[in-house]
Amino acid sequence: MTLLEAKSLVYAYPGGVPALRGLDLRIQAGRRLAILGPNGSGKTTLLLHLNGTLRPSTGRIVLEGEDCGYSRSQLVAWRRRIGLVFQDAEDQLFAASVAEDVSFGPLNLGMQDDEVRQRVDETLVALGIQDLADRPTHMLSFGQKKRVALAGAVAMRPQILMLDEPTAGLDQKGSWQLLEVLTRLESLGTTLVFTTHDVDLAYSFAHDVALFKDGKVLVQGVVDTVLADAGLLARVELRSPFLMELGLKARALGLLADASPLPRNRDEVLNLFGPRAL
Amino acid sequence: MSAIDRTAHLNPWRHRSLTEKAVLALGMLLLAMIFPPFPTGALIAGIMASVTLLGARVPVRTWIACVLAPAGFLFLGALTLLVQFDGDRLSWAAGGGAAAAALIVRSLAGLFCLLFLALTTPASDLLAGLRRFGLPSEIAEVALLIYRMLFLFGDTAKTMDAAQAARLGHRGVRRRLHALGMLLASLLPRVMDRARRMEMGLAARAWDGEMRVLGRRPVLSMPALILILSLEAGTALLGVLAS
Repeated sequence: MTLLEAKSLVYAYPGGVPALRGLDLRIQAGRRLAILGPNGSGKTTLLLHLNGTLRPSTGRIVLEGEDCGYSRSQLVAWRRRIGLVFQDAEDQLFAASVAEDVSFGPLNLGMQDDEVRQRVDETLVALGIQDLADRPTHMLSFGQKKRVALAGAVAMRPQILMLDEPTAGLDQKGSWQLLEVLTRLESLGTTLVFTTHDVDLAYSFAHDVALFKDGKVLVQGVVDTVLADAGLLARVELRSPFLMELGLKARALGLLADASPLPRNRDEVLNLFGPRAL
Repeated sequence: MSAIDRTAHLNPWRHRSLTEKAVLALGMLLLAMIFPPFPTGALIAGIMASVTLLGARVPVRTWIACVLAPAGFLFLGALTLLVQFDGDRLSWAAGGGAAAAALIVRSLAGLFCLLFLALTTPASDLLAGLRRFGLPSEIAEVALLIYRMLFLFGDTAKTMDAAQAARLGHRGVRRRLHALGMLLASLLPRVMDRARRMEMGLAARAWDGEMRVLGRRPVLSMPALILILSLEAGTALLGVLAS
């Protein structure tokens, strides 16, 4: 089911530099979507359109069959359903302590204090940062800030959670934990959308991928199909995912049956070469 | 600045009620102003220093670092009380020593009161308190954002400064000044950009113009408050008896 749809969006930055040139995108319920494109291609601008921060000069955004409006109350209703986590957590954190910052969104939704308190506690626990609750936001590490920023969006329980370059700058453990938290959120019914320039991340984590180039989505489809098309990838200046190439090679060498799916993560690849020695 | 902030956040009395801390600090400050410095002022200075260092366990180093600058000004100012200038000659002032001592003790007592509050209570808690006390929320919000931004820009400026130094931009006074000018010039657009992006960040969380957050307010401990008030009553009594 299509939750959110962008239809032929056109937008130019102040000064006339075109950013989106007739962009189409569909976000389907429950399908993790990676918006894949090189740095500076306008992915963030697209996300800012999808939550109503920027308004396209032509084109429209349709949320579950209804055109989105830009009045104050319509925007609030829109953002209640669509959360956005910025790439730079500092853009989001403003309150003095972590718990206060996370309470901001739920309070804006008009929830009662007791409910908000409970929501904040639940969210912090879900993200494994309950011990940071009273920490001042400026005394957090980079990874902690990212998590708190995520918590701020998650606490509003959006239908769709959009993340701008979620793993950028995180260390290995941080990225891995983040993806785990996101998977858990998804199992509670949140649809995940993220932008990335990392084709390997898109391959191992997303279900669908949209290739973004020159302010347009070149193609949107299932990861296995889109990322297997080397010609298409070359047009967005990307190479096919390393794990996918390994899988195809393994197939060619007869290590992987033609019918079985390509490996998606490092363990699946390693298993191709026989059981691991302990 | 950040040492004060750090201590204010990390000391064991961080989560004591603001009322207790404010009544203690401001009450003692008032007494120090009303009553003569000997013995009241000296007593208050002693009490506030021990409460800060032993009670709230503020690190001695931080505390001394905070005392040094104002104390320096204070001693310089007190020096002028020691001497008098009558037309063409400088001579010792009659009673100058006593006046200087009184000034120093009274000011130190006041300083220790304020330092106690500053080192045990984060700025955001103070703002929240002022808000409850009737400070308009617009002012409180702006102050809070400035407080947040101070750290962001402090860090940015520090990084830019280090980056300049790494490219040898600080060799010689002229170059150093030039580098500082460039740093300040590029900080301004960054400030504007940061502010714009934060506005987007807030808007993404359905911000409607009012910044509500749910703080945790520690409960006021009545026994502690009574203890503080009796301590102040005792000090006041001593002041009355002595004067």
